[in-house]
Amino acid sequence: MVYGILRLINFAHGDVFMWSGLIMVYLVTVLPMWLSAIIVVIFAVVLGTTIEKVAYRPLRSAPRMSIMISAIGVSYLLQNFALYITGGLTKTYPSISWLQKTVTIGTATTKMVTLITPVLTIVLVVLLVMLIKYTKIGMAMRAVSRDFETSSLMGIDINRVITVTFIIGCGLASIGSILYFSNYTGINPMSGAMPGLKAFVAAVFGGIGSIPGAVVGAFVIGICENLIKGAGWTTFSDAFTFVLLIIILMVKPTGLFGEKNLDKV
Amino acid sequence: MDERKVVLKLSDLTMQFGGVVAVDNLNLDVHKNEIVGLIGPNGAGKTTAFNCITGVYEPTNGSIEINGQVVIENYPKGKMKDAYKGRNQGKYTKALTMLPDQVTRLGVARTFQNIRLFKGMTVLENVMVAMHMNQTASVFGATFRSRKAREEEKAMREKAEELLRKVDLYDNRDDLSTSLPYGKQRHLEIARALATQPSILLLDEPAAGMNPQESDDLMRFVGRIRDEFDLSILMIEHHMQVVMGICEHIYVLNYGGQIADGTPEEIQANPAVIEAYLGGDE
Amino acid sequence: MGTKLNNKHKAVLSVICIALFLVLVYLGDIMIRPGSSMKMLITVIEKGSIFALVAASMNLLNGFTGLFSLGQAGFMLIGAYTYAIFTIPAASHDKVYQYFNGGVIKWSIVEILEGRLGIVGHYLGMFLPMLLAGIVVAFVGFLIGIPVLRLKSDYLAIATLGFAEIIRAFFQWNTLGPITNGSNVLRKYTTYNNAIFPVFIAGICIAIILLLINSTYGRAFRAIRDDEIAAEAMGVNLFKHKEMSFVISSFFAGISGALLAMFQTTISATPFTTVMTYEILLIVVIGGIGSITGSIIGAFLFTAASEWWLRGLDAGRWLGISSDLMRPGFRKVVFAILIMLIVLFYSRGIMGDKEFSWDGFFAWWKNRPAAIKAWPAKRRAARAAKKEAFALKAAARSRAKQSKQENEARKASGEALFTPLPVADHVIVFDKEGK
Repeated sequence: MVYGILRLINFAHGDVFMWSGLIMVYLVTVLPMWLSAIIVVIFAVVLGTTIEKVAYRPLRSAPRMSIMISAIGVSYLLQNFALYITGGLTKTYPSISWLQKTVTIGTATTKMVTLITPVLTIVLVVLLVMLIKYTKIGMAMRAVSRDFETSSLMGIDINRVITVTFIIGCGLASIGSILYFSNYTGINPMSGAMPGLKAFVAAVFGGIGSIPGAVVGAFVIGICENLIKGAGWTTFSDAFTFVLLIIILMVKPTGLFGEKNLDKV
Repeated sequence: MDERKVVLKLSDLTMQFGGVVAVDNLNLDVHKNEIVGLIGPNGAGKTTAFNCITGVYEPTNGSIEINGQVVIENYPKGKMKDAYKGRNQGKYTKALTMLPDQVTRLGVARTFQNIRLFKGMTVLENVMVAMHMNQTASVFGATFRSRKAREEEKAMREKAEELLRKVDLYDNRDDLSTSLPYGKQRHLEIARALATQPSILLLDEPAAGMNPQESDDLMRFVGRIRDEFDLSILMIEHHMQVVMGICEHIYVLNYGGQIADGTPEEIQANPAVIEAYLGGDE
Repeated sequence: MGTKLNNKHKAVLSVICIALFLVLVYLGDIMIRPGSSMKMLITVIEKGSIFALVAASMNLLNGFTGLFSLGQAGFMLIGAYTYAIFTIPAASHDKVYQYFNGGVIKWSIVEILEGRLGIVGHYLGMFLPMLLAGIVVAFVGFLIGIPVLRLKSDYLAIATLGFAEIIRAFFQWNTLGPITNGSNVLRKYTTYNNAIFPVFIAGICIAIILLLINSTYGRAFRAIRDDEIAAEAMGVNLFKHKEMSFVISSFFAGISGALLAMFQTTISATPFTTVMTYEILLIVVIGGIGSITGSIIGAFLFTAASEWWLRGLDAGRWLGISSDLMRPGFRKVVFAILIMLIVLFYSRGIMGDKEFSWDGFFAWWKNRPAAIKAWPAKRRAARAAKKEAFALKAAARSRAKQSKQENEARKASGEALFTPLPVADHVIVFDKEGK
């Protein structure tokens, strides 16, 4: 969701996601579950804003390519650091008992996490949409996403807006990571890369800058991937995401709910 | 009327972005060796018209003829069919489009309002890029320096140097294009356009940001290249002194629409033009 | 500019240097016994030259045509597989393709040609599959380019990245097992036996890239990089030239993939991930986007640092410092931090967008800082003095030949006036003054 505002592929987003998972693994050994969950969210926010301050802010006026390179550099650093900390081993995510509880609705039984994920997502999305639509900072975000320079002339503190964007984006990433790794318990330094890229694909799918779009995109991708796995094409489940991305970029580059952009000559 | 051949003809050219009609039914002729001015207040649609001619935009309706041949034509279709606000809907039925490089190959070269030189390249290289399209050597020939490629490269270099001499940039040929002073950058842009061997030259505000002395020089320069390179010129310009000084015929746009055309004297006396520039009487 | 004689001298000088380097590599590989610490040098040279080639091919796209493409690892993968598949000796097929009944291709180009032409056939048999690898990848690049090159910056990056992932999945697909061996490794294919081979091939390929960049097409590429709209208005067909650059870059990525396959002696699709593309990109950035010389230097620095100089960081001792922090993985962390520092504070890279030239080299040598002046005197006084004398003489000679006029022209054109900057290791670094 950071993509929409910054118009920048944050290659490091997936790694923030992975790190939140990793921190959780280490924290639960010393702290109670609920406390570590909160600390993880705080950690992700701090990490995200630090990345933004150190790696993106100095390059704000630089060409896009430099910013992307910087993003790739950060991602490389985070992955290697994780590799160093974990020694390259896959860690097992702690099972959060509350999330693993089995619930029975009618005749169907399922884990709590499967149930809670979509509900939580929808709640968060509604909150986010409201934030962007109705609050002052949301309005500023929309303005910044359109035009950096003009919005700064209009008295918007761009740095603050972008920081807030990163706070929200990374906070959401860490919540996402709790839900994600509760399902897929193996976590290694590389496990952030794919979800990070997929999140971008989802955002493109839904139309950059449109949050409900990104959510719909994510659901479509998730469902399709499971269908493909079910059909016995497991090798292609990741590749499929990209096939989807490329098809969208070819057919409707503005995404499902996106707006059009025109180049000025 | 002018007896000379019409080299560029815009007929009912209309460009609509969403609900905004940026160019509204523009009819314009440029005759052989004529210097034509296109003037109008900011946002009148002058540059948009240029972009239609050079293939950057697809016009919504109307046609463009270059040297007597219709090369671009369009009519409102799809969503635009109902949203279209302009006139002459249904008059045009063909959809002919061209990419900017194809238009350039037809002999229409342009400069840009906000100078667009190749920043990382020298003055000479900037000019040589514009000659690239006439190369016949294949990419293999060029890479492995076939005899043909070497000869072409040499001829190209010589021609580029000659051109730079003509525009007084020869001494700067190995400078980085962006290191030139502003006025020279404008000259280089024109030289680069000339290197494509055009018959029609479109100049987008060549005198922008120049003082009266520089504009005078530019005026003489434009007149000189017109004679030397046998050009027909269409220019957008805000400096009235320049426009009135060298243009033989002037078209005035306002809010996309064409409000007047005629010789400089006629334009100066035209009440509609005065109103557009100075605001209404009320 | 420079007189004819002068240019000839420069060319001779370059040829001598390159030949000398090749001979040294050749002898080095023969003389240095396995297990010796200097063997690492040979490994670095082999791997470095392979990465120099792929970095140069990426630079052609990113630095010279302005296309931010991240598909290089995928292209290398195809190249590596194409080469390996056609050079596995017939006798080894049953072993390599043990899960696929020996695969479908039961012959090897090397063996066929070797049977007819002897040793010439052997090398021809290695060369042809390598060429084939390049051509196959170029073709794939051509197909991918058609849809992808219409996209703009970020979208282009992510789409090429996506294609690389798709390619990887494709090669791991079990249904294609009889050809690609599915998710198992390919091995036993023909490899080179002296480090001179990859250095030589990569050298030729890089030379071709340099020639291309300095041709009229290279100029058109750079025009597209600087300003697409203006380039188009100057009659440069955008799509045609982008596609051309993309296909050529893919071709060389394919060749480097084939070389990498030879270097590693076994190949599987797993390591050709986005991380590999990132590493190639970082090499390009370290060297300087828009400088092929930079890419070469970057590639050697990168491999030397990651394979050799910083090894000690993993083992617990480095440059005499030992610490508990230094355990496996620490090398990569330090390395990544170094790269981040370069990206943030030295974003023009080692060479910026300048290329190596003898003029620049001599000018730099003349003004080299005291530290470097003192270094050879301290360490290897006798040899260095001789070298210095030679270089100074050569510089003096070239200076004498160059007229005053020329000097002025150079100054006016703002051509590289090198200011050296010592960086981390005892390696000399160039940067252009100003901006």
